[in-house]
Amino acid sequence: MNRFIVLWFAVGLIGFAIIPWYTTDDSFWSFVWLTDGYPFDADYAPALLQIFVHGKIWLAPLILFFLAVVPVLRRDASGQQQARYLAIAGIGGLAYLFLQGFTIGIGGWEYAALESLFGPVERQFGLGYGAVLVAGAFLFLLTQSFAARGYVGGDLFVAGSIGLIITLIVAFVFFPVSRILMSAFQDNDGAFTLLLFAEKISDNKIWGLRCISENVSCGVAWNSLMLATTVGFGSTLLGLAFALVTTRARLRFGKAFRVLTVLPIITPPFVIGLAMILLFGRAGVVSQFMDWAFDIEPSRWIYGFTGIWLAQMLAFTPIAFLVLIGVVEGVSPSMEEAAQTLRADSWTTFTTVSFPLMRPGLANAFLLGFIESMADFGNPFVLGGNYGVLSTDIFFAIVGAQNDQGRAAVLAIVLLVFTLTAFYVQRRWVGKKSYVTVTGKGDSGLHAALPKRLTWAIFAIVIPWTAMMLVIYCMVMFGGFVETWGRDHSFTWRHYAEAFSITSGEFGLVWTGSAWNSFWTTITISAIAAPLTAAVGLLTAYLLVRQKFAGRLLFEFGTMLSFAIPGTVIGVSYILAFNIPPIEITGTGIILIICFMFRNMPVGLRAGVAAMSQLDKNLDEASLTLGANSFTTVRKVILPLLRPAIAAALVFSFVRAITSVSAVIFLVSADYHMATAYIIGRVENGDYGLAIAYSSVLILVMLAAVSLVQLLVSERKLGRRSATTKPAGDDPPGQKKIGAVA
Amino acid sequence: MTIKSNASPVLFDTVTKAYGDVVAVDAISLSVAPGELVTLLGPSGCGKTTTLRLIAGLEMATSGHIFIGDTDVTKLPATARDVSMVFQSYALFPHMSVSENVGYGLKVSGIKKAETRDRSQDALDLVGLTDLGQRMPSELSGGQQQRVAVARALVLEPQVLLFDEPLSNLDAKLRRRVREEVREIQQNLGLTTVYVTHDQEEALAVSDRIVVMRNANIAQEGTPRELYERPADTFVADFIGDANIVDAQIIAVDGDDAQVSIGNLTMAMPHRNAGPGPVQLAIRPEAIHPIVIDADNTGNGDGGSLSGTVSKATYLGSHFEYTIETALGALFAIDPRIDAPVLEGQAIGIELASRGVTIIGDRS
Amino acid sequence: MKKTLIGLGVLALSTAMSLPAQAADKLTLYCSPQIEWCNLMVEAFEKETGIDVAMTRKSSGETFAQIKAESRNPKGDVWWGGTGDPHLQAAEEGLTEEYTSPTFGTLHPWAQGQAKSAGMMTVGIYAGALGIGYNSELLASKGLNPPKCWSDLAKPEYKGEVQIANPNSSGTSYTTLATLVQIMGEEKAFDFMKKMHLNINQYTKSGSAPIKATARGETTIGITFMHDMVTQVVNGFPVEIVAPCEGTGYEIGSMSIIKNARNMESAKKFYDFALRADIQTRAREAKAYQVPSNSGATPPDESPDLDKLTLIEYDFVKYGSSAERKRLLKRWDDEVGALPR
Repeated sequence: MNRFIVLWFAVGLIGFAIIPWYTTDDSFWSFVWLTDGYPFDADYAPALLQIFVHGKIWLAPLILFFLAVVPVLRRDASGQQQARYLAIAGIGGLAYLFLQGFTIGIGGWEYAALESLFGPVERQFGLGYGAVLVAGAFLFLLTQSFAARGYVGGDLFVAGSIGLIITLIVAFVFFPVSRILMSAFQDNDGAFTLLLFAEKISDNKIWGLRCISENVSCGVAWNSLMLATTVGFGSTLLGLAFALVTTRARLRFGKAFRVLTVLPIITPPFVIGLAMILLFGRAGVVSQFMDWAFDIEPSRWIYGFTGIWLAQMLAFTPIAFLVLIGVVEGVSPSMEEAAQTLRADSWTTFTTVSFPLMRPGLANAFLLGFIESMADFGNPFVLGGNYGVLSTDIFFAIVGAQNDQGRAAVLAIVLLVFTLTAFYVQRRWVGKKSYVTVTGKGDSGLHAALPKRLTWAIFAIVIPWTAMMLVIYCMVMFGGFVETWGRDHSFTWRHYAEAFSITSGEFGLVWTGSAWNSFWTTITISAIAAPLTAAVGLLTAYLLVRQKFAGRLLFEFGTMLSFAIPGTVIGVSYILAFNIPPIEITGTGIILIICFMFRNMPVGLRAGVAAMSQLDKNLDEASLTLGANSFTTVRKVILPLLRPAIAAALVFSFVRAITSVSAVIFLVSADYHMATAYIIGRVENGDYGLAIAYSSVLILVMLAAVSLVQLLVSERKLGRRSATTKPAGDDPPGQKKIGAVA
Repeated sequence: MTIKSNASPVLFDTVTKAYGDVVAVDAISLSVAPGELVTLLGPSGCGKTTTLRLIAGLEMATSGHIFIGDTDVTKLPATARDVSMVFQSYALFPHMSVSENVGYGLKVSGIKKAETRDRSQDALDLVGLTDLGQRMPSELSGGQQQRVAVARALVLEPQVLLFDEPLSNLDAKLRRRVREEVREIQQNLGLTTVYVTHDQEEALAVSDRIVVMRNANIAQEGTPRELYERPADTFVADFIGDANIVDAQIIAVDGDDAQVSIGNLTMAMPHRNAGPGPVQLAIRPEAIHPIVIDADNTGNGDGGSLSGTVSKATYLGSHFEYTIETALGALFAIDPRIDAPVLEGQAIGIELASRGVTIIGDRS
Repeated sequence: MKKTLIGLGVLALSTAMSLPAQAADKLTLYCSPQIEWCNLMVEAFEKETGIDVAMTRKSSGETFAQIKAESRNPKGDVWWGGTGDPHLQAAEEGLTEEYTSPTFGTLHPWAQGQAKSAGMMTVGIYAGALGIGYNSELLASKGLNPPKCWSDLAKPEYKGEVQIANPNSSGTSYTTLATLVQIMGEEKAFDFMKKMHLNINQYTKSGSAPIKATARGETTIGITFMHDMVTQVVNGFPVEIVAPCEGTGYEIGSMSIIKNARNMESAKKFYDFALRADIQTRAREAKAYQVPSNSGATPPDESPDLDKLTLIEYDFVKYGSSAERKRLLKRWDDEVGALPR
């Protein structure tokens, strides 16, 4: 007997016969339904009673799919039988569940033709607890059926994980995104038209190239491409420089440097842009100083490509850094030592061994920089000048005076094509070579010191850059304590008091500051979203790197999709998709968590993929043959070796959840208000002091969180990596230093 | 010694493994008896490692059935199979100490802590690493790491123990020592073992039986001696030990023996079911005795003689290696008589020992 | 193994659950002006009626996009504030509910006119006139004369000194475009804009950005609504406000009840409440400098006095319609936006 089947069969039955089937109007954790008419109340009744008491007979066929499981509940059911019956139950059950959800909605039949065929039916609400349990049961019974066929090595955990992630991606990425991309092919009345699409996509505003010869703006597509490519390269190089400095230059203040490096990703949007205007704008401090000292007339150079590029470099270099630091640390010292024993000097060692081994990391860092730049909205918004890019155009196509969702969809398609091309190119460049450097053989080597030339070059980049960052952050911190930033610099606590005041009232402390509400919501939602995001990202990375299964490429593509699409599009698509049954979650905290999970998961995924491709597959296999199942293997062997990647994924998903804007704008509600939405409201109103005070507090909170994570999970212990002890050995030196790049 | 044997037989029933169009293992049938050490030997890409991984459950068979003991494990994942594997790269978990590595399998199987500790220590004792339990793998030498990998596999008392080229990262001397240790442990414990290597000397030294693989198929299987003395084809003859492959002619078959004419020399040897006509012979290098030709020695007189010229002579301490140009082609010979070396360029006669010359073709 | 899968299941479960919130005596308010004003309205309304208000503040463009996306299952009840254009669009697309408040008769004629033109599916709550703002310090240091009229902005001396939003992305800028067309006639207006194009240093994305840039000295002249300029003046920036000599257009900040609102009773209560003179008078407490639509309300002292401005007869029906908007924006794109500078 398969306990797994029995378990999920039972879960499904409980969901069907005991737990309320539909969403309730009360909050997720509210158990009002238990005392308020359950189980017979039409709102709270489980499916079984919905069928027999409330006449929702269309739910009855689900019973058939439960019956299909019964034959394999027997102790002696063979693998073949399991595979067959569970496939019927799983596929049929899931398909029917969603079919009825999409055809019968809040107003009865969704399609008039069906109404004339079957007569009117009663309306139904979104899927609730019970329906989710049933869906989960059918899903895992289906994956069990695949495992019983020997798919993915007959591994239940792997099959279940793949099934779960595919389902989640279909539900929360493909489904909403296709809803909005569809509008690219629709005219104002909703009719499909390819002609209009052709006209919209060939728009001169997108593809115009007159900028080459004349002083006009190029098409936004070219602008975006140019920006994203340069930012991708720039941030990768700079990130590599910082990664090398922190790991190889043997600095005394390496830890502090590391924290400073990641500072920009914990900075709420707009802040860097605003600070740059106050520094380098026409009326900026630096410009005024240059005017005074060197008679250089202040100009508006910061508005446009240069400004966006600088701001994005500041913002995205830390991402490249986080991806690369694991990779740089992971390059096996033995290989570098091997190169040196082969008479390579430190420069040659670096260029021929260390650097090529970092290739997957570099490619991933570039891809992230490219995509981030493409989808970034805040910096081009503040610093764009007349340099239009796809993301801002998409935003204003939706919320601007034109209000043209179709155009937004067309632009989103262009953006997607660029992103996917970058993705493809990245794959080609990394190729099928192996970059395994952490093998099952103990590695007792030491990382090669950096070549002198390179060290100086790196310092020449890193030091001024760090200085600029420090200045910008001082500006920002300072901005929260002055009356009017950039105008009246008299000291005040006013902004902090307004946002974060606490007064002691009659019943103890009262959180009177206007920011507290959104602050706690933000922290809570982000703290819930971060581990989930990291978990899904790393699990997906594990599936992609370690498992072979049909449709893997499509799977990988799906995971990149929601990351590559600008937040505005995601935000609107989430409303379009999840405001009505069967999945009705707008206005909840859950929609925010889900949005963060699937938007930010690719970062954990990329970090995981890069780090995991450096782990020898034999390590997992050894664990498997030693009787550990794949879940234990992931937990005991892979995760401990992926600590830097986990740290990166955790930090990044937490921080991105706190700082993301464009998707959030559409998903916040009165009960779930996020900090960035609050900040943007202030910025729109010109109330920079308050916006900056709030941002500063967020920066401090995130800094604390980042330090905590770095402290707890970032270092992994692989061998000694120190020069103090000599290897005890009975074999000649050099013998064990031949790394295995298999 | 508290490590026991749960040795079980392994059976392959027409197992095929294909990756798309590429067939890595082609309808192989194979059996390993309990307590037997079978080596899969062959050049790289012949499918031997895939075969091993099919036993481990790290690859799933495309068709056919695999049995361990009485259980059909064809569709069972690696976790559910009672096998342990020693990897070429050792695959020691770099973040765990030696004893954590060894105890890992016991721990994940839910064995109590105290028992895990005792059994890990026993396994370490067995491989001679009693005091190194607290070290990290990176603090061990290659040979020590290899032994940790063996201990980690043994401690689970698996039905089948698998070795994937376990010695390839060790130097020659150490390799000999470790392989003797491995063989000794295997024989003492009576473990069913499948061993993959591309080193024929290693295969001859450790195996009860050798399966020679070529192009996803089994070329020949048998005891080391059978393979060496009665190769089924030129591939096996050449792969197991060195062999000079020469064309010859069977003149007559008489009882068990055949009269074979090699150049202008005729000798008798087991006919191995070959009839009169052309055949190929495998002549082992040590069966070729070069004889310096002088006035009163013109051959052994049995039925003619071979002659040739030494084109290369190499002194190797215990023996000489010669390359001799003859009418049959260049022959490679080994001669332990180091006191009477033949000089390069010297014309010689050749004597063939009766042992070490065999008709190729497994028709017996 | 089993534990794992249960874990996965729980994960799936907890992420797919849902919890929409609404009950009796509640109101979901979409609010588009600045947050202080929104909070003020919410507090006052809750205090007076005891109805629990769930308020979300988003800009008018965002709110419109949201209402449109939610139209099949509306979550909001009232959309209060924000420039009238998207309200009119929403009315045109049938996203809002027709309602005539008992207080309707006390509104200014311009407010009544706009509401009637939209079939009573939206109503004006305040008005704001367009104006030209300049940074007096920067203007002086550059030795430039202050602009007095729209036509001044085409003068070559202001080259690279003027900022206005892109009419494609900003309702403010579209209102300016429509105003110029109504003042000068379409052909002349486009001629003017082509000339002014040479003086524009940036077409911003957001409507109020030009005056913020003006305040901080990033540009010398900005074209926005006057009440946005007043905010900068009150914040202590050296901004001077000019009412163009040719007369100027204006926006009518509006309010609409969302079609099929879940709390229709509360929505109507709020609607009536928001049009009352005493409530509109309180706008000054939130530093809102628009002119209230109720003729009995007192505008803030800092507000530009609409009576002293030459306001044009802004044709909300014509210039608020989607077709005319599309046509004008396309023409602007082709003839102005595409010009080299």
